[in-house]
Amino acid sequence: MRAGRRVPQPAATDLARRPWRPRNRLFFLPAVSFFGLLYIYPLGCLIWWSLFSPSFGLDNYRTLATPAYLQALLNTLEISSVVTLFSLLLSYPLAYALTMASPAVQMILLGAILVPFWTSILVRSFAWVVILGNHGLINQGLLALGLIDRPVQLIYNALGVQIAMVHVMLPFMVIPLYGVMARIDRSLVQAARSLGATRRQAFWNVFFPLSMPGVIAGSALVFLLATGFYITPALLGGSGQITIPMMIDMAVNELLNLGMGSALGVLLLAVCGTIYVVLTTLPRAKLAGDVEAR
Amino acid sequence: MATEPLTFSRAMLWTFAGLTVLFLLVPILIIIITSFGNTTYMEFPPREWSLRWYRAYFQSERWISSTALSLQIAAGTTALATFLGTTAALGIVRTRSRMTRGIELFLLSPLVTPTIVLAVGLYFVFAPLQLVGSAFGIFLGHTVIATPLVILTVGAALRTIDPSLELAARSLGAGAWGCLWHVTLPMIRPAILGGGAFAFLTSFDEVVLAIFVGGPGATTLPKRMWDGIRFEIDPTLTAIASLLVLLTVIVLSLAAFSRRFLAHANAPRPDIHNLQR
Repeated sequence: MRAGRRVPQPAATDLARRPWRPRNRLFFLPAVSFFGLLYIYPLGCLIWWSLFSPSFGLDNYRTLATPAYLQALLNTLEISSVVTLFSLLLSYPLAYALTMASPAVQMILLGAILVPFWTSILVRSFAWVVILGNHGLINQGLLALGLIDRPVQLIYNALGVQIAMVHVMLPFMVIPLYGVMARIDRSLVQAARSLGATRRQAFWNVFFPLSMPGVIAGSALVFLLATGFYITPALLGGSGQITIPMMIDMAVNELLNLGMGSALGVLLLAVCGTIYVVLTTLPRAKLAGDVEAR
Repeated sequence: MATEPLTFSRAMLWTFAGLTVLFLLVPILIIIITSFGNTTYMEFPPREWSLRWYRAYFQSERWISSTALSLQIAAGTTALATFLGTTAALGIVRTRSRMTRGIELFLLSPLVTPTIVLAVGLYFVFAPLQLVGSAFGIFLGHTVIATPLVILTVGAALRTIDPSLELAARSLGAGAWGCLWHVTLPMIRPAILGGGAFAFLTSFDEVVLAIFVGGPGATTLPKRMWDGIRFEIDPTLTAIASLLVLLTVIVLSLAAFSRRFLAHANAPRPDIHNLQR
């Protein structure tokens, strides 16, 4: 993949091996120093404060083990899992259909996925507040039709958060899935068919295993993003859906508790960091190889 | 691949995929349609059409000043993130060392770092520096989360350009920097513009950093919308939301346009898979 590898090696001159390399490492300098100051330093401070504010010790982390915080952690993981599962169930057929579509249909579908993807998360969450809210469109409609006599609670509960979050996260699942599926060698499926597999067998025994890297990457990405997600749960969740990011907001803005806010932040970083490191160090080629070897 | 006859399962697949696309699009369409209503509450579909809420937005000094603030921040973010991201991508793609992959993962990690964690960290780091409540503080935070998008876009383009053109330039006597400036950068120009577009959208739509770092002192457009949604939903919000969707469509189209028409013959067609890597 690296461009460097494509440079023709036999051209023996030093010049040929280096199209241009004006002190390459220098190119890292601006971004790395900027990130050091405005990304690593603040995150490092969080770790420091979680241990030293208000006084040195693990008190903040001990507080994390109390029921209210554990419940928030459970809520967070539950919402993320449900959202990941439903995103996958909706995305897989969509991505699969995308690989089989004609170029024109493909363009339209990709547009239909990319526009929501780049549309502000706030706008998309707001849309669900408008649709599902107590004075929202669904309730207005049902009231007008006389099917109900007072608004049904559709948001400020788990269902509302989950619907809106699946909506927000769906493109993050479709994109990696489609990326992997588009690269699957379809002649393998054809070979299975010509060797007597039914269409269903060819799909489940050949195509589906080959698409696993996309499933894993997409699911990990969605789970990761959902875990740290603040806007949608804050707008559509109820008191039963307090998540860790909402706890952070509360600790910082309402309780003015620097130490607890930091400890919660470190917890979230640890969860997301672990998933990120596992996901990025797991070589995709090996993943695919394992599946092929079966 | 020979087209196979439409079977029952294939019809099911297309129905399901179609419904999923509708699920993605319908909420956005509903907001756009609702925004053209003429009542003080939201109505779908509106019984009477008007541009009342668009007028309300353009005539509100508060909304317009927030929009101007967001535009300033987004412009600054776009400029700095494009510079940082492009230089970093050059470093990542053109350096062969054991460290490179690690630096790449580090520079991309803000994509998956919960923004609220970064926001809290920056909030407390900025507080003693008087940067909380300032547009400058928000701009710095936005640049952190926008730079990885530029790195991804530009990096993907750099990996696919034809090195023989650079070799040719070098063997014809171009210096390393001359080759970079006159050969490499023009080839990846569409990707740089695309990365800049993504940086712009990221900053212009961002809420969490704006809430924490902006505080009450610097209210960006998304922050004012956030307050509106939480405290008093009024139909002006639907008009602004629709304008934001329009902006997204315009910026994405421009990015696609630049790819198609500014692209060098050898330039890559950056594809969406690069987003996840």
